[in-house]
Amino acid sequence: MSDYTKYTKQEMQAYAIAKNIKENQIVIVGTGLPLIGASLAKRAICPSCHPIVESGLMDCDPVEVPRSVGDNRFMAHCAVQWPNIRFVGFEANEWLHDEDRLVAFIGGAQIDPYGNVNSTCIFGKGDYLKPTTRFTGSGGANGIATYCNTIIMMQHQKRRFIDKVDYITSCGWMDGPGGRERAGLPGNRGPQMVVTDLGIMKFDEVTKRMYLAYYYPFSTPEMVQENTGFEIDVSRAELMEGPDPEIIRLIREEIDPGQAFIKVPKN
Amino acid sequence: MQRTGFGGVRRQMDKNREGFILSKVMSLHDAVAKYVEDGDVLATGGFTTNRKPYAAVAEVLRQGKKDFIVYAGPGGGEVDMLIGEGRVAAYINCYTANSGYTNVSRRFRAAIEQGKLTYEDYSQDVLMLMLHASSLGLPFLPVRLMQGSGLMKYWGISEEKRKSMPKMEDLKCVEIENPLVPGQKVVAVPVPKIDTALIHVQQASPDGTCIICGDEFHDIDIAVAARKTIVTCEEIVSNEYIRRDPTKTRIFGECVQAVVKAPYGAWPSQCYAYYDDDDSALKEYDKASKYQDKADAIAQLAKAAAKAAKSFENAPADEKLKLAAEAAEKAAKAAADGTLIPETFEDYLNKWIYGCKDQAELLDKIGGSRLMRLKNEPHLGYSTTH
Repeated sequence: MSDYTKYTKQEMQAYAIAKNIKENQIVIVGTGLPLIGASLAKRAICPSCHPIVESGLMDCDPVEVPRSVGDNRFMAHCAVQWPNIRFVGFEANEWLHDEDRLVAFIGGAQIDPYGNVNSTCIFGKGDYLKPTTRFTGSGGANGIATYCNTIIMMQHQKRRFIDKVDYITSCGWMDGPGGRERAGLPGNRGPQMVVTDLGIMKFDEVTKRMYLAYYYPFSTPEMVQENTGFEIDVSRAELMEGPDPEIIRLIREEIDPGQAFIKVPKN
Repeated sequence: MQRTGFGGVRRQMDKNREGFILSKVMSLHDAVAKYVEDGDVLATGGFTTNRKPYAAVAEVLRQGKKDFIVYAGPGGGEVDMLIGEGRVAAYINCYTANSGYTNVSRRFRAAIEQGKLTYEDYSQDVLMLMLHASSLGLPFLPVRLMQGSGLMKYWGISEEKRKSMPKMEDLKCVEIENPLVPGQKVVAVPVPKIDTALIHVQQASPDGTCIICGDEFHDIDIAVAARKTIVTCEEIVSNEYIRRDPTKTRIFGECVQAVVKAPYGAWPSQCYAYYDDDDSALKEYDKASKYQDKADAIAQLAKAAAKAAKSFENAPADEKLKLAAEAAEKAAKAAADGTLIPETFEDYLNKWIYGCKDQAELLDKIGGSRLMRLKNEPHLGYSTTH
């Protein structure tokens, strides 16, 4: 019998995601943790939300966990199957109509204090043309970060939270107040928070710099500072309570029983 | 002849056409030999692990065609194989992964990290809009995307190099003022001129009309935009049958040059309403594509062993590091003396592509029961037994 009173860092992260989805929001999810979080929101915390994916599948409610945004598992029982360009148009029109319904999850390898994210390559000893580590490239993330409010998912490590990212794939608040407008980006959209395995960071309304808003029952503000490669304000941090056993049961038994994205330790 | 109205005459005509004049049905070999040329701007349909035209790409590889400028939309193993085999003169990327199996396609990644691949990055939104613009015949495309990002700042292919490539536009992108809205900054991007499109669909008729079930991705766009379109399909149905419900047909036959029957032509990727992705093949490719060939495997394993030995040296008390160093050394030794070299990219291709003369041989090699396990459950659109 599984003990639902104990939970892993990843389960806490999925719960943090679900808690930050609001009534009636249209939620752009990918695979992995954001999908688990959105599924949890849809089932238990915020059933009125509408998960959509960048391949163009709208209001998804998958029975089996999809492996990618193009997976036919996302197709089963979705409301509309659009081609990707319709998704792109929808995203832009939401902004043009001044609708504030979209929220999107994106991930990355590096992030700076203003929420600019790199998912293209780490230059290392080389450069863009011959980097030390190459990733997939933007996918839908650049467009999403242009037109939507985002929640960024990261592993909290010093080498990932750095002063300057090698390559900006998805724009955050650029270099601070007014940065997005100067770059030609919608100024009323941008990163809202960063959810990691150690806590939830938000961005200061005036300076647009990242600060620690919540830490978890198993983390501390000191741990967050230690694992962040730049000065981060932890003075406003509050404790976020862990999930109820019922939430953990839902994740393990109903949402990801095959442990496709959340591994459950044996003990 | 008894006239039964226009429909009756039409059916009669179709019968004649199919048999004698307008059939575009040909073998995969002939289609690729005739319509894929070295140096083509080549576009593949599908989305990472969904409805990718693997059968057609396999034939392109077998025939030794090369020097392509490739657009794959969100690419997967199909473009990774073309890159690994050195057939790509330039790759226009937005995302390349067998998502869920390989986070970053490995030959793509290795080629870039070794500085061997000429490539350009766009965001997926922009790349898909470029392919759509191509289908609309637009002269260029204005977008409000990529602004402020590295996608505008860094160019994979310089203006100078682009000018030496006749099929490449001179600029990656350029910020301009919207001529209709003074003061508004927009980004102009080029519209690709596609020579050849390779797509895999569920059903096609001899005149080239196609039915695509499930997400169309950018397949219709590239079929319309390309000068030459090769369609591989699960089933060929008659010209008459395919017209029974025009709400289901997605591509006008006159946009298509060749129709090829290739059952499981998207294997190992998915094909909606027919089959799921092949878990074991995608996992096999994930592992094998770590190493280009035997020499690369030996070199990489030796490097890994040296690294593991160094970590252990720095922390001699760590039991885990000790075991890891021992295992790495064993693997490196076995590879070096030839007793156990892991499967490589080259081996995978020899087995599943060059080792099969056509799709029929491939299907025999995969095996009947394995293919049956991939069959979709009609009520779900995927397999629960793969």
